[in-house]
Amino acid sequence: MPVVDVDPDALRGLTGRTEKTDEEFKEDLFGLGLEFEGETDDGELQFEFAPDRLDRLSVEGVARSLRYHYGDDRGVYVPETNDAEWTIEVDESVPDERPYVTGAVVRGVDLDESALESLIQLQEKLHATMGRGRAKGAIGIHDLAMVKGAPLREGAERSITYRGIEPDGETFVPLDSNDELTPAEVLEEHDTGRTYADLVSEYDRYPAIYDELGLFSFPPVINGRRTEVDTESRELLVELTGTDQWTIDKMCTIVCYALSARGATIEEVEVAYADGATHPEEYGSDLLRPNLEIDGKSVSHDRIETLLGVDFEPEDVVDCFERSGLDASYTLDEAVTYEVEIPPYRVDVLHPLDLVDDVGRAHGFDELEPRYPDVGTVGGRHERTRLEDAVRTSLVGLGFEDLLNFHMTSGEENYDRMRVEPGTAVLGGGEPVRITEPYSEEYTQLRTWALPSLLLLLEGNTHNAYPQDVAEVGFVAERDEAENTNVSEARHVAGAVARRDASYEAAKGRLQAVCDDFGAELETPRTDHPTFIDGRTASVTIDGESVGVIGEVHPAVLVDHDLEVPVAAFEFDLDALR
Amino acid sequence: MRLPERQLAVLEAASATDERTMDEIAAETGLKPETVTGAAFDLRDEGLLAVTETTTEVAELTDEGRDYVADGLPEIRLYRAAVDAGAADGAVPMGEVIGRADLAGPEVDIALANLPRKGFGGIDSGELTVDSDADPDADPEAAALATLADGGSVDDDGVLARLASRGLVDLVERTTRAVRLTDDGVDALMEGVEAAETVGQVTPELLASGEWADVEFAEYNVEADAPAVEGGRKHVLRRTADRVKDVLVGMGFQEMEGPHADSDFWINDCLFMPQDHPARTHWDRFALDVDPMEEIPPALLDRVETAHRDGWGEDGDGYHSPWSEEFAREVALRGHTTSLSMRYLSGYAGAELEPPQRYFSVEKVYRNDTLDPTHLLEFFQIEGWVMAEDLSVRDLMGTFEEFYRQFGITDIRFKPHYNPYTEPSFELFGDHPETGEEIEIGNSGIFREEVTGPLGVDCDVMAWGLALERLAMLTTGAEDIRDLHGTLADIDFLRTAEVSY
Repeated sequence: MPVVDVDPDALRGLTGRTEKTDEEFKEDLFGLGLEFEGETDDGELQFEFAPDRLDRLSVEGVARSLRYHYGDDRGVYVPETNDAEWTIEVDESVPDERPYVTGAVVRGVDLDESALESLIQLQEKLHATMGRGRAKGAIGIHDLAMVKGAPLREGAERSITYRGIEPDGETFVPLDSNDELTPAEVLEEHDTGRTYADLVSEYDRYPAIYDELGLFSFPPVINGRRTEVDTESRELLVELTGTDQWTIDKMCTIVCYALSARGATIEEVEVAYADGATHPEEYGSDLLRPNLEIDGKSVSHDRIETLLGVDFEPEDVVDCFERSGLDASYTLDEAVTYEVEIPPYRVDVLHPLDLVDDVGRAHGFDELEPRYPDVGTVGGRHERTRLEDAVRTSLVGLGFEDLLNFHMTSGEENYDRMRVEPGTAVLGGGEPVRITEPYSEEYTQLRTWALPSLLLLLEGNTHNAYPQDVAEVGFVAERDEAENTNVSEARHVAGAVARRDASYEAAKGRLQAVCDDFGAELETPRTDHPTFIDGRTASVTIDGESVGVIGEVHPAVLVDHDLEVPVAAFEFDLDALR
Repeated sequence: MRLPERQLAVLEAASATDERTMDEIAAETGLKPETVTGAAFDLRDEGLLAVTETTTEVAELTDEGRDYVADGLPEIRLYRAAVDAGAADGAVPMGEVIGRADLAGPEVDIALANLPRKGFGGIDSGELTVDSDADPDADPEAAALATLADGGSVDDDGVLARLASRGLVDLVERTTRAVRLTDDGVDALMEGVEAAETVGQVTPELLASGEWADVEFAEYNVEADAPAVEGGRKHVLRRTADRVKDVLVGMGFQEMEGPHADSDFWINDCLFMPQDHPARTHWDRFALDVDPMEEIPPALLDRVETAHRDGWGEDGDGYHSPWSEEFAREVALRGHTTSLSMRYLSGYAGAELEPPQRYFSVEKVYRNDTLDPTHLLEFFQIEGWVMAEDLSVRDLMGTFEEFYRQFGITDIRFKPHYNPYTEPSFELFGDHPETGEEIEIGNSGIFREEVTGPLGVDCDVMAWGLALERLAMLTTGAEDIRDLHGTLADIDFLRTAEVSY
């Protein structure tokens, strides 16, 4: 879950609630779903929250939410914007993988250290969440005074260009460096470059942003040093590139709201996609950004009441909307429906239901009285789990300790240490279902049978007292193209008797008892299985069908598991007892 | 007077004038010493015998002490080897002498430490000198060891303490009990005591012959420990799962089942999880190396894709995330059992469901979490949902309050939360029944219309989930989940974990 660092002094300033203590803020924010996590080294408070309200990724957004919470603000707020002076030209050379760009100009900025830090934090947190680690969207913020734009086409006043270049087609000095590097060199030689190299290294052409003086930003990797922002910067250029126009527009909006809350003025930019360039279908090829349009959705009074289980007066609902930073109007028809206005920084409202949630939060879910639903249904267990359970009860009655082992294992445990070859027609010899990218050598596939797990457990318990009679009714799986999932899943019944006098007879006596419990007819014709001693191995044949194996475990297997007592064991398909 | 046979034997062997030890009585009566002791205490309780206890300290040789009795003390062996090497005439190299004395391992240090202490000689710059006047044959420690080995006793406390500190003897306290007849005992004997016939065990013969009516049963020490009996028992997590299932069945829930390996479609897409959601990236899920799933109902697939791309309903918006059918068909281990809920709600698992319905499962899920005392790669998820017309948040709260109340968790709190698949959503918190600490006990909500709509459900469905292990750790007090679950489990822990019910 995202974490936001909040400077409590900035929060006092931005909310205008100078009298609030840190403790009071923590309590108020808990009510909004931001949970106090701890303090940073320099005394900022850290709050964790669910990843829906990404407009709260900086102190400015947190302060806005609090002002609504306190009732100091009501309804939708959209900052004023000035008309565009700058254009972002999108060249047809931009890489197909990253076609979209957006941006804004921000003037009258006055950032102290804390505010600048907050801005950088917001940028990084947006990268990590909406930006999906900069892959989907990346933000570059520049000192506009250092950007020199000549109008490229008629009507435009000043412009920069987003284009694609050869990996070694240009040099620039990136942030935190003194060297003139090509984009390809940045990916190899610069720390930040190496971190984000995977995002662009497969591209034929690299994304690049130019002004009249040349390349000044290499999104989504790093900005140039020339346009670096510091506390002296008074005018900013914000540019975002990405794989989805909506996403970068929303990220841009959240940044603009944060800067506006610090007293800056937002100025639109024109985004002009060239004829040959991919442009967002839903918006066309000429865009004015940031997109601060208010969204609208309608939701019925009835839906709010049934979902929350509360009777409301329409005025109360409108009040809840306004305290959530929304606006709502309604007509008093037979069925009241609210037309709700949603500010552009909200990225979490996908459906009218989300508005009901806002009403619930504003009303206070704590206020709702729980009630047991007056709905009658009949309960019951699934036949399979009842059968599994009945078999477990039988096994436990025979003195077996019931086990619960992992379904994931390794080829070594499942096959090699049991002397079984994958793809052979013995129990456990099924083809493995492997994990594509295993994280540990111990868990690389699903187990094809349960006996290896029992032996592993015995191996880990040689320090404990014998006898150790253990059993498991559990999941096994193997590759099977006849299944829709291409995996055949089954439950096996496995038992192992580990004691000084463990013998074939000891295992068979117990197996016979289980079969008797279920009225199943057991035969044990002789067979071979590499895990067991030749001549002391039989097929478990239930009602005429071979469904498993029983025998004395081969000394080579025992010794490999550090066992100094004999083990006799059986394993068969649970279905045979049906 | 009638007394059990063994008591009578002890009484008769005791004397009114002399104290006789238990061992003496045992020798005379031919009874086992512990039988004599038991009988003597019974007789004391009757006032017929007096029992006295004397405690003495005796020295017993340790294994090491016994070895030195056989081989000689290391310092004496070193001294003799040094003399043999000519050390009386001048210093000799230590290594040579140690080899000659056949000292090994810790014996070397022992010898080198004790040689100068006893004035046998000295060590300087790796060379040994000896005092040719020393007489190891007169060494009191060696003499004491020999005496003890012969069964004699040693009175010199200083020597014994030294040997004890060297670990060559153990000083142990030994209690000797002796008995003497009391006046009542003498009177009883003079009046005459008869032996009562006692029987050790009820036998088939005794029952069949009717003799049982005439015999007295020997008394047992009923307080003594009995040999341990290991019965099998159901796994502690299974028992917790059973308890959960009982509660849910009692509340009208039917159990679901379905595949562990499933397509991402059922696991995530139906749940309206965007395909670029962090939880769907490769390092969070266990993708399997099998071919994609072929059969997915095409109309359902279309509707789910629509929900992702364009949203659901007139005012719905989709995700601005890529969506590919290819990814939806990939097969992975389920990260939650909500895939089962999707199969049931869509009617794919069986019959089309009409409201009202309640369903649950307590089944395994797979997540690539870091293994630690509270997290496993595989764990059990309790999943439940209620489908009905016009369900409200209050119904959700009421249902979960009832469920948790069954486990002693009252005063449950609902913290508004966010899930991609439910709205409103709540994290559930409650107080630990023992520690009182606030703990998260589940995640819940009402399924979004983007979830229910494509599945063809046109009423409300509320759902919740939590890890079974969390409940089990509460009810068993286990602090490390790895003790319970998996092949690292300790069989002793499983055998001794308290039964919960």
